[in-house]
Amino acid sequence: MAGLASARRSPELRLGFGTLRLLYVGLFLIFVLAPLYWVVITSIKPTSDYLAIPPVWFPAEPTIVHYTAALFAYRGLAGLINSAVVATVTTVLSALLGTLMGYSLARFNTGGPHLSFWVLSQRFLPPIAIVLPVFLLYRSWGLYDTRLGLILIYTMITLPLSVWMMYAYFRQLPKEMEEAALVDGCSRWGAFWRIALPLAVPGIVVAAVFAFIFVWTEFFFALNLTSRNAFTLPTIFRAFLGFQGAQYGEASALAVTSLVPSIVLGMLVQRHLVRGLTLGAVHG
Amino acid sequence: MARSVGADDVTERRTVWGAAASSFADRHIAWLLVLPAVLLILVLSIYPLAYSVWVAFVNFDFEIPGHAFVGLKNFQQIVDDPIARWSLVNTAILSVACVAVEFVLGLLLALAMVKTFRGRGLIMPILILPLFISPVIVGQFWSLLLQQPFGPTNYLLGKLVGQPVEIGWLTQTPWNFIAIVTADAWQWTAFMFVILLAGLTSIAPEMFEAAELDGATPWQTFYHVTLPLLAPIILLAITFRLLDAVKLFDVIYVMTGGGPGASTYTASFYLYQIGFQQFHLSKATAGSWIFLALSAVIIMALVRRLLRPEVR
Repeated sequence: MAGLASARRSPELRLGFGTLRLLYVGLFLIFVLAPLYWVVITSIKPTSDYLAIPPVWFPAEPTIVHYTAALFAYRGLAGLINSAVVATVTTVLSALLGTLMGYSLARFNTGGPHLSFWVLSQRFLPPIAIVLPVFLLYRSWGLYDTRLGLILIYTMITLPLSVWMMYAYFRQLPKEMEEAALVDGCSRWGAFWRIALPLAVPGIVVAAVFAFIFVWTEFFFALNLTSRNAFTLPTIFRAFLGFQGAQYGEASALAVTSLVPSIVLGMLVQRHLVRGLTLGAVHG
Repeated sequence: MARSVGADDVTERRTVWGAAASSFADRHIAWLLVLPAVLLILVLSIYPLAYSVWVAFVNFDFEIPGHAFVGLKNFQQIVDDPIARWSLVNTAILSVACVAVEFVLGLLLALAMVKTFRGRGLIMPILILPLFISPVIVGQFWSLLLQQPFGPTNYLLGKLVGQPVEIGWLTQTPWNFIAIVTADAWQWTAFMFVILLAGLTSIAPEMFEAAELDGATPWQTFYHVTLPLLAPIILLAITFRLLDAVKLFDVIYVMTGGGPGASTYTASFYLYQIGFQQFHLSKATAGSWIFLALSAVIIMALVRRLLRPEVR
């Protein structure tokens, strides 16, 4: 099937509204780009430019002071490091556990439909229902405000994504090669490890990138399970709430810093976006 | 001599044990592979949920010492709280509004983008970009754009209508609702768009050719061919979006803080306030069980039917 990057040229939807169509796409592009433009501009404006009427559309003297303030005065750098460590370790764990379970579901139909549905249902639990008891348990387990605590909960939260993406991926891999290996005296673990796993690497990479993006952009769990030590990048925005107009620059600088990595990664997996968004249910 | 026999014995015992272990592992490979993931979910989801049942029936409040059994008191407090009921209604209003707006905008975008044109390959990455940004940052974007009096939105609107516009987008009802839906739609229209686009491109071109031969107008083709063929994927896209939209929290937290008053409280925001700001943990937990039960009804109704891997 055609990916996002290409479309068919057949006259399937000859709506005849050629101009109207392009106008709509153009307006939508402006809608998408306007906030991005504004946040980038705000992040390099001198402080005196924020409170100007009419607004300053492009600063005469761009500055990077807000970036240094966001990274150091507001501990953006510490948040960046926490986010990177937590997201990386979570990604590895989630991809590993997801691959193991996805393979088992796809090849052995383990637990029938109940087990796979049970994992999936976790995806739709309201986070508030999980985070309240986990907050209490983490306090008594010594995991509150630790990177390990965040990594564990994030691995659990991303499991439905990893498991289902890998489940769908293994289902579409032919199993003949594994069967041939079994006939040749290979153990089942050998067939998994030496035959199926190498073939699944592209699928694992895509699932891992989606898990990374999820963790990198997640706010709710980090807000409630961390405080002064393990706080991630998105939680720093707490400091900018309210009507403190003088901090628009810092908030914008932090926003720009935070969105670059996930957008870059997102662009790498854009061909697989539909699978990622629907947990492998729809092929784009 | 004796020593070498002993050594052989040890090696042999090892291989016997090794063989037994590997044959055990091989016979139970299916369950051993799912074990780590299942254990993690049991420890960090099922156990906390079970624990929270206990929390919901006792007194667990940082303002009141002790954990005495209080029966249904916590649930009663939630049911009696007008703000709780308002938050629930609000969750329904906001999530339906967000999903509806995103669906219409996303479907139009998918229809507009399904045919190739020059520059399409460049536009595509920009259209999906919002999906990779943290919702907190999206809230921050729109706070910057909409804030009063220095934000650019009111200024541009003022230029457009020829007189100063002073809308408190974040502080006045109903503008705060419009602001929240706008921010959410900015981020998630792309979600509808890519899924519906995948659906559109998977429809066989013969279907449209046949409709054209029969002399169908574009509108007739859309209504009688495209829409019915797209129906399963539309249902799937709306289900997925709706299940996330009812959790709406981040954008509210950043943009309105639930305000003014409690006007933009959602269920998640309300429970967060009760649990993590006022530390009435038992009351919040009881509330989260009510919310969970209500969401479960939607989940059961929609997901079980939709999410077979066979769905294409």
